[in-house]
Amino acid sequence: MGKIKIKIAVVALVAAMMALISTSTLAYYSTVGKATNVVTSGSIQFIIHEMTDQGTEFPREGVYIVPGDVVSKKVSIESDCDHPFYLRVKMIYGVNSQELSSEDCFKLNIDEEHWVLHDGWYYYTGIVNPGETTPDVFSHVEIVGSKVDSSYIGKTLTLTVKAQAVQSENNPIIDGNTYTAFGWPAE
Amino acid sequence: MKKLFAILAACILALSSVLTAYAADGKVTYSGNAGQFVFEPGTDHSLTDLFPNFKGVMPGDTLTQKITVKNDADHQVKVKIYMRSLGAHEGSEEFLSQMGLRVTKSEENTMEYMFLAAAHETAQLTDWVCLGTLYSGGEVNLDVTLFVPAEMGNEFQSRIGYLDWEFMVEEFPVEDDDPKPPDKTGDNSHMEWIFAIMILALCMLIILFAWRKKEKQNKENAA
Repeated sequence: MGKIKIKIAVVALVAAMMALISTSTLAYYSTVGKATNVVTSGSIQFIIHEMTDQGTEFPREGVYIVPGDVVSKKVSIESDCDHPFYLRVKMIYGVNSQELSSEDCFKLNIDEEHWVLHDGWYYYTGIVNPGETTPDVFSHVEIVGSKVDSSYIGKTLTLTVKAQAVQSENNPIIDGNTYTAFGWPAE
Repeated sequence: MKKLFAILAACILALSSVLTAYAADGKVTYSGNAGQFVFEPGTDHSLTDLFPNFKGVMPGDTLTQKITVKNDADHQVKVKIYMRSLGAHEGSEEFLSQMGLRVTKSEENTMEYMFLAAAHETAQLTDWVCLGTLYSGGEVNLDVTLFVPAEMGNEFQSRIGYLDWEFMVEEFPVEDDDPKPPDKTGDNSHMEWIFAIMILALCMLIILFAWRKKEKQNKENAA
């Protein structure tokens, strides 16, 4: 009986020691936390300004003209985003008549120091940085008297400025020609 | 005066650069007392956002985000810290799938990478991955790199992608054979020298007393 008691005591002691050892390797408890991480993409945005010599906005409804008029219309582009970009603009002419053509009706004084013609687009030679505004693409529009004759009386001639931009970050150009940049949108 | 201004300016500059660097890092802190994680810095998009550097990304970008995972629990426990990815939120998959993501441990370069796949996937972080066993004050740094292909199209401008990561700790008691935390920094008292000086002073006192006693005895004998 005495031997059994000793055995029980030994077994209990061993069990207790094993329990002690095992508790020292068990974790107390665990905790889980979740982080919601966010990736956002940038964008390229700009505003086209059309102003007059007087510093007012060019009227949306247009102006009445006669052949030979020189209309004040200053067109520039302002960055409206956090990223620099390359820029190009194109002038599109129109007239509300099937029989007439708007070709050569307008003569623009393009700033060729800052805007270079390539494949029908005027490319800005620099980079438009955040918060910057480009020099005027042109500042005056002449209505060519030799082209706009009496057949244009009562008609509406339109001059639309179309602009496109592409990021300049991670976008090297060749020989300083901005038209060689990658990613110009399809027309 | 100029010198003073220059020094002040340099100090302000140094401080600002430190603050900037701090603000750009992500931080995961396990606070043992509260039994929870604290995620910093957070952004307007998510309070637990660890990716402050991955905002307004552009095609062709390669951006890095450092994330420090720290055990701020007391000295009684050590923790094993794990992480896993739950992947992109619904609606974010298309945008995040455009980009690649790599996660590496920056200090213990035992693994070339922990995660390398499209950003929306869970890939190698589908199951829990142990970042290490951290004692109180211990930390592990992660370098997260985002690769944005130059070909990413216009349709992905101004998009937002949400990516969930989970962190888990298991607490263990600190054992006797565990490495001890370093001594307090700044304690330069050199106790061994103080003890040596005290013993030397005691010896000198004993010699002095013995010498005076002997001298007194000699005087008495002479009398």
